[in-house]
Amino acid sequence: MATLTTKSNIPIDVTDDELKLWFQFQKFYSREAWALDQRRYHDWLEMFTEDTHYFMPRRKNVRFKELDREVTGEDDLAAIFDENKTIMRIRVERLETGTAWAEDPPSRTRHLITNLEVEPRANGEVKARTAFLVYRSHLETEETLYAGGREDTLRHVDGKWKIAKRVVVLDANVIMAKNLSVFF
Amino acid sequence: MVLTKKHQVIDLKTGQLSGHIFVDPDIYPQELKQIFGRSWLMIGHESLVAKPNDSLHTYIGKDPVILVRDGKGKLHAFLNRCTHRGNRTCRVDDGNEKFFTCAYHGWIFANDGKLTHVPGYEEAYYGELHRETHALKKARIDTYAGIVFATWDQHAPSLEEYLGDARWYLDTVFNRLESGTEAYGPIKWMEPVNWKTPVDNCSDNYHVPLSHGSSAGLETAYLGRPRTTLDEQFKSPSKHLSVNGHAITFRMSQPGDVRRAHGVTNENLHLFEQYYKETQADAERHLGKFRAGHVQLANHSIYPNGVLGFRLALPRGPMLTEFWHFVVVEKAMPRELKKALANGSVSNNGPAGLFEQDDLDNWRQVTDGTRTPMGQSLPQDLSMGLNHSGRHDEYVGEVSERYISESNQRKFYQRWEEFMNAEDWGDIALQPRTASYEGTATMKG
Repeated sequence: MATLTTKSNIPIDVTDDELKLWFQFQKFYSREAWALDQRRYHDWLEMFTEDTHYFMPRRKNVRFKELDREVTGEDDLAAIFDENKTIMRIRVERLETGTAWAEDPPSRTRHLITNLEVEPRANGEVKARTAFLVYRSHLETEETLYAGGREDTLRHVDGKWKIAKRVVVLDANVIMAKNLSVFF
Repeated sequence: MVLTKKHQVIDLKTGQLSGHIFVDPDIYPQELKQIFGRSWLMIGHESLVAKPNDSLHTYIGKDPVILVRDGKGKLHAFLNRCTHRGNRTCRVDDGNEKFFTCAYHGWIFANDGKLTHVPGYEEAYYGELHRETHALKKARIDTYAGIVFATWDQHAPSLEEYLGDARWYLDTVFNRLESGTEAYGPIKWMEPVNWKTPVDNCSDNYHVPLSHGSSAGLETAYLGRPRTTLDEQFKSPSKHLSVNGHAITFRMSQPGDVRRAHGVTNENLHLFEQYYKETQADAERHLGKFRAGHVQLANHSIYPNGVLGFRLALPRGPMLTEFWHFVVVEKAMPRELKKALANGSVSNNGPAGLFEQDDLDNWRQVTDGTRTPMGQSLPQDLSMGLNHSGRHDEYVGEVSERYISESNQRKFYQRWEEFMNAEDWGDIALQPRTASYEGTATMKG
């Protein structure tokens, strides 16, 4: 998680293997963004493992010398999102009930996903970091821009990469939005 | 004494409410002075500033405030305003610091508020500046069961009188056990609504099955959440009542019943049952057999801006509210259950909340509906349950006959009028405390 906000040294030289992996995940995240913006939420949900953990910590104002505590940890009991696939499934399925008022009529979103870095792990998993700008337009005139970073742990399951853990860090202290009813 | 009522917004005979109070740019600054300037307001929790020199940046309404525990362990709340030119002396959300240094000219204040250093005290001020009178502006503070309240008004009654017998009910969640509670947070976000609407909504149990049906239904299916239907709410023997503008609803329960908060699921229910069974004797010692066994606080608001317990609607403009979500759990609870309640809390309330996110457009549009040219000429209707509330033999407060009523909302706006029309606390009534407080629980825990 800390890697989303602290420095990490990324070598510039690229091997063919790295290029292949990077390109593979570039496509993965592009497809995810289209699934969300085209409101194919079940397809989106399929991109997560059954035991996935979806986490969004808080982001605090702290002094420069204390930046290690800027982003709250998993021991904090007031994360913005801290949930399993069942809750994510409820989020998706409720959109079909006709009474999920925050998203009915639905928001118009545009997920711009960029700055991809991919890091293979010895255990066969992959860590992938992306940055995002999510534009949301809702009802007549409301507009919101959510900016942040994501760090995923991806696992190969039945021939497909799936997100086994996602940490989303918003670049906001007071979230300047009426709610977080869109997905990141 | 006030002879003429400047603000008359709720008609208690008909339940009609003037909508201009949600949008009028002239009303809002008066509210900051008349209501937020003299009420006891929740600003923090002792557990968030547990150690000497811990601080939490918070607000008394719109005034930025540092809640700090000094080196000797004493709590203070200071206006975050340098006494030189008014700059903030603290820019972090929380920390552990002995001093607050103004970034403008370097005045330094100790965390007990004293001005300890002024650059050029001799050379520029000729040693003539009265450092003693330039301490940080201090608010009155007091605590209830670990929750820290503050007020600017030196003439306000005690916090105990201010809460009055609302505490009899609040105790069943915030003061159930002697070992107390701990808080986490806040999660902060900005709602494009007037601060009164989310407060009013707290005792609106009428909206729950309709506004929150999609999430409630799926949580029943996936997590075993007890079904919430209008019919069940209409027939419920649970109560809806108001004391001093604090709006209370509670459920009647049996000893050892699990409080079905968000986060209690089919999977962990047996663990909660065990916990409630194990702590029932402690709860009875603390609150007496009746409260510990039969009263479970449900949706409620603490006047003026406490929304469902220790969560704050901070005024930021006639049409803007900064919302702070805190998670509060009993200290005695096993970590696993604290975590379950915390996860349930943030996935249902807060900006990502499956329940709370569905409120926002209703609240915004309710507000908008009083702003349009035709809309502003029309009242809101709060007539539900008129003439169906009063004194109750067992329960103190203005008690509704049914669980579903708009009596609490009428009382809230009546309290709003009272504060807005009052010259000072002499014009604001407090219900005498008549409830019987069995058990060892006090205001302090």
